[in-house]
Amino acid sequence: MNSSSLQLVSMFVLMVLLQVMLFNNLQLFGFINPMVYLFFIIMYRFESDQTLFILLSFILGFSIDFLSQSGGAHSIATLTIGFLRPLLIRNAFGVTAEIPTSFYNDSRTLNKTIFLALIISIHHLLYFSFVFFNWNAIYLILKNTLLASVFSLILIALLSSFYKKLNDS
Amino acid sequence: MKRILNALVQFRNPILYLLLLGLSFFFLDNKSSFHQSQLEKYGLYVSQNLYRVSHQIGNYFQLKKINEKLLQENKALKELELKSKGIPLYPSALKVKRRFPFQVKTAHIIKNSFLNQQNFLIIDKGAEDGIKEEMAVITDRGIIGIVKSVSNHYASVISILNQDLKINVRLKNSAAFGTLSWKGKNPIDFQVEDVVMNAQLEKGDTLITGGMSSYFPLGIPLGKISEFEHDIQSGYYTISTELFEDPSQVYYVYVIENLDQKEINELKNEQP
Repeated sequence: MNSSSLQLVSMFVLMVLLQVMLFNNLQLFGFINPMVYLFFIIMYRFESDQTLFILLSFILGFSIDFLSQSGGAHSIATLTIGFLRPLLIRNAFGVTAEIPTSFYNDSRTLNKTIFLALIISIHHLLYFSFVFFNWNAIYLILKNTLLASVFSLILIALLSSFYKKLNDS
Repeated sequence: MKRILNALVQFRNPILYLLLLGLSFFFLDNKSSFHQSQLEKYGLYVSQNLYRVSHQIGNYFQLKKINEKLLQENKALKELELKSKGIPLYPSALKVKRRFPFQVKTAHIIKNSFLNQQNFLIIDKGAEDGIKEEMAVITDRGIIGIVKSVSNHYASVISILNQDLKINVRLKNSAAFGTLSWKGKNPIDFQVEDVVMNAQLEKGDTLITGGMSSYFPLGIPLGKISEFEHDIQSGYYTISTELFEDPSQVYYVYVIENLDQKEINELKNEQP
């Protein structure tokens, strides 16, 4: 096992533990639980094997589901976001030549923010849709998606800047 | 055959995605059905151990809140308990819908004393919380005193550890009644006087409030008989008793109000 895959595995485990032990219990304003484990999906290298990545994102979502007794909503949302990621990368960073090798290797703040916002909002929308699973709760779904997305975005942005500092030094 | 394999390899990502999506839906479906899936039981087992430490830490900080909540719950239960104990006093109570004229409030003792012969204590509820003079103060295993004066947010209470305070008590097993007062030394040593000789007594019998004063409802447990002697000349027992709860070491108390007190006092005053 080389150092990059070791780093990958440790980040995976750290994200799952952080989410389950800390962020699932946060309940900001009574109902907002930021989903920081998406950091893994975002940080995973962009030009890697897509098949492996789909599997990994499924396992990530499934672990979160497994440890927080939430049925399959995390799995579905994370798996879908993993599957859609290449598309989102192209949308956020432009044509093929400009795509960076990984998220923190790029310095264009706007593109990075768009990428983050896309991944987080789609994931949250899917997640809350499957949690409520009812058309009558559409207002609740949208409200939760919006608020949770904002907090996830802030936390993940913070985390990524820490990560960058850590790697640069 | 080869073309099928080629197609499989070419579209492996969408196929994998759909497969896993189906699996996720399967789990979601299992979740919503009545029987929890076996898998979640294992998940629960793992996460229980994971959570245990964080819960233990979290619980510690919530203890105060939980205590307050339990106190509220106890208040409701106390009311019911007092109600049920009053039934022997009004035997027809089971047939008709009966009034229960007592109301329970909760309070904390913020100052307590037991060194003097006339002790007073202060509770953190006052006129604004509906505390009035002459209300009774009790705990779950005994009585504490009677409210003497009230300010906006506090009230001062004549402690049961006050030799001027005499409380009407009776035995749990027989209807013989007497008067409880403090001996003035140890905070749990009390005496009961004026119990008539023909009552049957035994060591360890439980004393309860008698329900004859308008302050305390019938049936609050107080203590048990530790010793008794009969005074042949006067024809009364003198009983030494030990309280169940040390009144000098109480923090949470209930204040009970007799809604009929005014009515009773009026009748008392009418008598010549």
